[in-house]
Order: sequence, then C-alpha cells, then structure tokens
Amino acid sequence: MYYYVYDEFVQDAKYERELANIETRLTDLGISGKIARLALFRDASELIRDASLKGAKTIIAVGNDLTLRKVIDAAADHRSVLGIIPLGKDGNFIASMLGIPNGVAACDVISARMVEAIDTGVINGHRFINSCMIDNGAGMEIDCGRKFKVFPVKKCSIEIRNLAIEDETVPAANPADGKIELVIRTVNRSLFSRKKVKSTVVPVKELTMSGENTVRIRVDGEQFEGKEFRISVLASHLKLIIGKERKF
Amino acid sequence: MAKGNGQETIIALGVRVEGDFVSEGDVVIEGDVNGNIQTASDLRIGEQAKIKADILAQNAVIAGEVRGNVTIAGKLELSPSARIIGDISVDVLSVLSGAQINGKVTMDGSEVKIPKGKPGKDIETEE
Repeated sequence: MYYYVYDEFVQDAKYERELANIETRLTDLGISGKIARLALFRDASELIRDASLKGAKTIIAVGNDLTLRKVIDAAADHRSVLGIIPLGKDGNFIASMLGIPNGVAACDVISARMVEAIDTGVINGHRFINSCMIDNGAGMEIDCGRKFKVFPVKKCSIEIRNLAIEDETVPAANPADGKIELVIRTVNRSLFSRKKVKSTVVPVKELTMSGENTVRIRVDGEQFEGKEFRISVLASHLKLIIGKERKF
Repeated sequence: MAKGNGQETIIALGVRVEGDFVSEGDVVIEGDVNGNIQTASDLRIGEQAKIKADILAQNAVIAGEVRGNVTIAGKLELSPSARIIGDISVDVLSVLSGAQINGKVTMDGSEVKIPKGKPGKDIETEE
C-alpha cells in the first residue's frame, strides 16, 4: 500500500493543477493510495506510524528535500520504502541525485519501483541523506572514531557527505560504501594572489565535531545551531525508490 | 602510484591531524600530521607537509619533512625536497639529488606486514 505525504507548501493554489495531474497519473498506474497533508501542528512521524500500523509499506513524500527530511526518520524506523515526487523549482537536489524527475513525470519512476538500500547519515540522532555543511569551521575539533583528531587551522568550510556529486576538488560521495566523507575546503592564495581551494577528504564511519562557539549547520537544506555534532553512518539502512538517471 | 582498493584520503594544507591515522586506501598528505600513519596502499607526502609520525605503508613518495621511522613494504621514492629524520626500512629505495636522510637505512629484504585497521605500533617484520 502506498502512502502519500503532501508537504504544506504543495497545498498552495499554484500547485493545484500539477497535483491533480499527479493524482490522475498515479490512479492510471494503479498506485494511488492514502494521502496525508502536513500542516503546522501535524507531525509526519505520527502520520507515518499510524499508516505503517495500517499496512502502508511505501511512503512517498510529495514536495522537496525538506519534505524528505520530515519523513525520513519515521520511514526508516518502520522499514518502509521511501520515494519522492519532487515539486517546485528549488530545493530538489536529492531527487535529482536519485534520478527522479520533477512533477508528474516522477509517477512513472515511482511505478517502476527500482528500490535500492543506501547508507544513511545520522546527526545527533536524526537521519540525513545528502550532507551536513558548516560554512565557517575554523577552530572546530573533529574527532574521527576516537582514533585521530582533525583540526582545520585556517578559515574553511566543513562538509560531511553521504550522497553528493563531484566538484572541482572532491570526487562524488558513494552512498553505498558504508562510510561518510569528511570534506574540509580551505582557500589558499598562490603567487599573484590567485585563490585556490584545497580539499581534505577523510572517509570515516563516525565522527564528533565540536567547538567553543555555537555554529550553524545545514543538514539536507535545513539549518540548525549547536556546539557539538555527533555524526555516524547506518550502512544500507534506507530503502529508496530511484530512477534510471540516478547520479551515483 | 598504483590505485588502492579503499577510498583515497587527502589531508590538505591548512589541516592538522593528531593520533593514529589508519587507512586501507591511498593517502595524500599536504598538511601536518602528529602520531602514526598507516596505510595498506600507497602514501604521498607533499612538499609543504610536516609529519611527526612513524609511517607504515605499501609504497610511498615523500617530498616533505618527516620526523619518525619510515617502514615501507615496497618502494620508497624521496624527492629533492624530502627531509627524513628517522630510520628507514624499505625494499626498494629511490633517492633524488637534494633529498636528506638523517637516520639508518635498512634494506635487508625482510617482509613487512601491514595489519588491517590497527595503528602503526603493530608493525611486524619477517626475515
């Protein structure tokens, strides 16, 4: 049984037509199911728990990366298969990584139901799929599995990656290797003051980041503040519906 | 250097590592390391790197400064900017003009075993 969780923002009038098309397509494909609509005081975890008890095996988030964040803990706790129908122009990085197209085209990918178990990152008890990012990590102490410590000695950004595409200095992060990647990007000035980004890359299974000051951290697009972050990986923990165009 | 089985670890300039650093993949160090370094694959130490650690690796290319004992199972290449303060145990050694070695060099053909996932103090050699 499929259980569709509509994020609050998709209930806006501008998505009305697209949602109607999606619902029609899902019915045509024979995978329509119960719909839950998130609201200010309606907790996704409770909705998914109740749905799981009633036999829902597949949870489909309808929204963006933040919608996935709202449902991921409950879906993983109940061993449900998780999918996404991305809507809107922004904040759909995870869906694009998973090879799921925007809007009604996603219904066919959901229907094809290619399921893969991927690693899930955990930060302070909450799961994440993509990455955690601190823009200024100078002065942080990073304890990697109580074996060695890493200290960025100059201004840098710190990223903990589980599922991520390659960039100029860092290769893609594989979400099926049982590890997360600590990436520290420092800017060095070469001759003639040209900026050059140097990246430190350390694959680890767990780490603790701490600092004297409160820092902001973005987890799959959602922002938190804190002084200490305990991060680990759960290998092959989350069953996700992916498309043929996946980028990992 | 040959590509290892595990993932590559890179310690860039501007980052300091302290403790027992163990890897199964290739390791590239451009920053500072204090403690032990061990990898079952290949190790490259850059020109600006400063290492205060005992090193155990399959093969290595060193261009920076190392204070500690270096044990290499295969081949060690010392670039002109390399400065080693410590003993070297290796099977095949290549030293380019300008490299400094302040310590004992042993090339007795003894087999070096690199334990998986344990720190450098577990170095074993066999005749």
